[in-house]
Amino acid sequence: MKKKEVYLDSCKTSKLAPDVLEAMMPYLTDKYWYPGPFTSIGTEIAEAIENSQRTIADSLNVEPKEIIFTSGGTDANNIAIKGIMYANRDKGKHFITSVVSHPAVLTIFQALEKEGYEGNYISANRDGYLNLEELKEAIRDDTTLVAFTHVNHILGTIQQVEEISKILNNANHNIYLFMDSCEAYMKIPIDVKRLGIDALSISGHKFNGPKGIGVLYLKKGTKIIPTQHGITRLNRLKPGSVNVPAIIGMGKAVEIAFKNFDEQIGKYHKLQKLLYDEIFKRIPDVQLNGPELKERSPAHLNISFAYVEGEAIMMMMDFENIHIETGSACSSQKLEPNYILMQTGRTHEESHGSIRFTFDRFVTDEGITRTVDVLENVIKELRRRSPLGKG
Amino acid sequence: MAIKYSEKVIEHFQNPHNVGKIENPDAEATEGSPACGDQLSVYLKVDPESHRIKDIKFQSYGCASNIATASIITDLATNKTIEEAKKITWNQAADELGGLPPVKMHCSVLAVDALRSAIKYYEKKHLGKKFDEGLNKKNIENELNKVIYGKIGVDIVSLRLVKYIGVDEKNNVLIEIVLKKDDPFLEDLQHEINERLGKFPDIGEIKISLI
Repeated sequence: MKKKEVYLDSCKTSKLAPDVLEAMMPYLTDKYWYPGPFTSIGTEIAEAIENSQRTIADSLNVEPKEIIFTSGGTDANNIAIKGIMYANRDKGKHFITSVVSHPAVLTIFQALEKEGYEGNYISANRDGYLNLEELKEAIRDDTTLVAFTHVNHILGTIQQVEEISKILNNANHNIYLFMDSCEAYMKIPIDVKRLGIDALSISGHKFNGPKGIGVLYLKKGTKIIPTQHGITRLNRLKPGSVNVPAIIGMGKAVEIAFKNFDEQIGKYHKLQKLLYDEIFKRIPDVQLNGPELKERSPAHLNISFAYVEGEAIMMMMDFENIHIETGSACSSQKLEPNYILMQTGRTHEESHGSIRFTFDRFVTDEGITRTVDVLENVIKELRRRSPLGKG
Repeated sequence: MAIKYSEKVIEHFQNPHNVGKIENPDAEATEGSPACGDQLSVYLKVDPESHRIKDIKFQSYGCASNIATASIITDLATNKTIEEAKKITWNQAADELGGLPPVKMHCSVLAVDALRSAIKYYEKKHLGKKFDEGLNKKNIENELNKVIYGKIGVDIVSLRLVKYIGVDEKNNVLIEIVLKKDDPFLEDLQHEINERLGKFPDIGEIKISLI
């Protein structure tokens, strides 16, 4: 019989919560209609969408009108980054991002570079914090947009967004700040107004919501043009079909997560500490990647195990129905170790033996304990097979 | 298409045969390095009369396919004469394992390399054989023969990606390769070529140019 699943990879995706599915069901079946004016069916759907919008807006301390539904985090990133760069091209074609940004940000800028845009990729220290002095120096008169990843998906680093926006405010012209907050949302508090963010992306399926839905927060007054074209149903920046069930589901997932937000964050801290303490107590020759526990995202841990390779660890954990992620080259399609671990000064070996654990609301103490029980044996067995570390 | 391991790979990964180290082996060899992603050591005990491999063990710092390939190769080599064992190829190992995903071919090469290197070591040490191990075109090509292009799992020499190999009087090496500069496997290939050619003790600078 297959053992009980332990899923520690919310940074990739997470399980749809049963109460979210329940909220979605009517819109997948009887209430299949589209939003529209005047008719009973059209207005019922429009109101349901507005409810979701309001819930999400409240969670970020923004206005409901500033919430745009997209097909996911990547879609939101594309709409915002390209839309802002294109709309402001007369002012300038310069952007700033970082070498540790998520591929869903980096690949967009790489595409823009092919269209003649120019950028600076600022570095990060070993813990993944951006070099803010470098940011100050990179700002030019033609800089239009600065875009970073809010919580680093590999290292769990929470970027100092307030500091970043202060630096941008001190520039002598308006520079938009975009944050990819997909890994940050519902894992750390985000008050958009206080942080001074102009645009931000979130993804539904990383906190037990549905897949295929994301949100772009866009501050009122931001100069942007559409990059997709078609019939406008909800917003001109995202034309075409409206994924009503997913919008309702995302709203519900946010409502649940936000209701007990502080309690849930407290739970993440406890799970993280339990996992960290048990690994460091029971397994020798391990090293933490990214900031110390009190500083990093509470739903995130990344640890390197010396003398063994990550894909082998991941496979052996998978046999026990425990699911994690590795930064090893062997598990990448390009046979390259994870670029963030390398860019922040780790050796190939540290990167190959790195394992990432990320949480969602279904992770339990029991799951963490079973993970470490299995992990301890897996590392022992792989080290028995390894030629390294034998003194 | 889903990239997955065959049942045979999983079986050998879960319960690998011949894991460990032989004390006072007749021959041993290590291929790869932690920087390269995988490292594999092979140890041999060889019968001095028949030159048959009486015992073979391996240690692997590597992924599932690396461990599984080492397991099957050491099985295949057991009780073979060193002449027979030399002929074991990585294609044979991959076939025995019910196939390997192309991207994983480079991991399986190490086990064959390590076995062949251990046999060579045995031949040098116990049979007094001499080998041409100098830095020349032929020996460089032999090393490039083991550099696998990850996208399709075939070496770069067989794929005819290597168009020119040159060695100057200062032992600097120039290799011309047919590859686009944005090829996703370029970095991996450069790394692998440098690693392989780094074995020549007197090598100068290695220049890889794309054509």
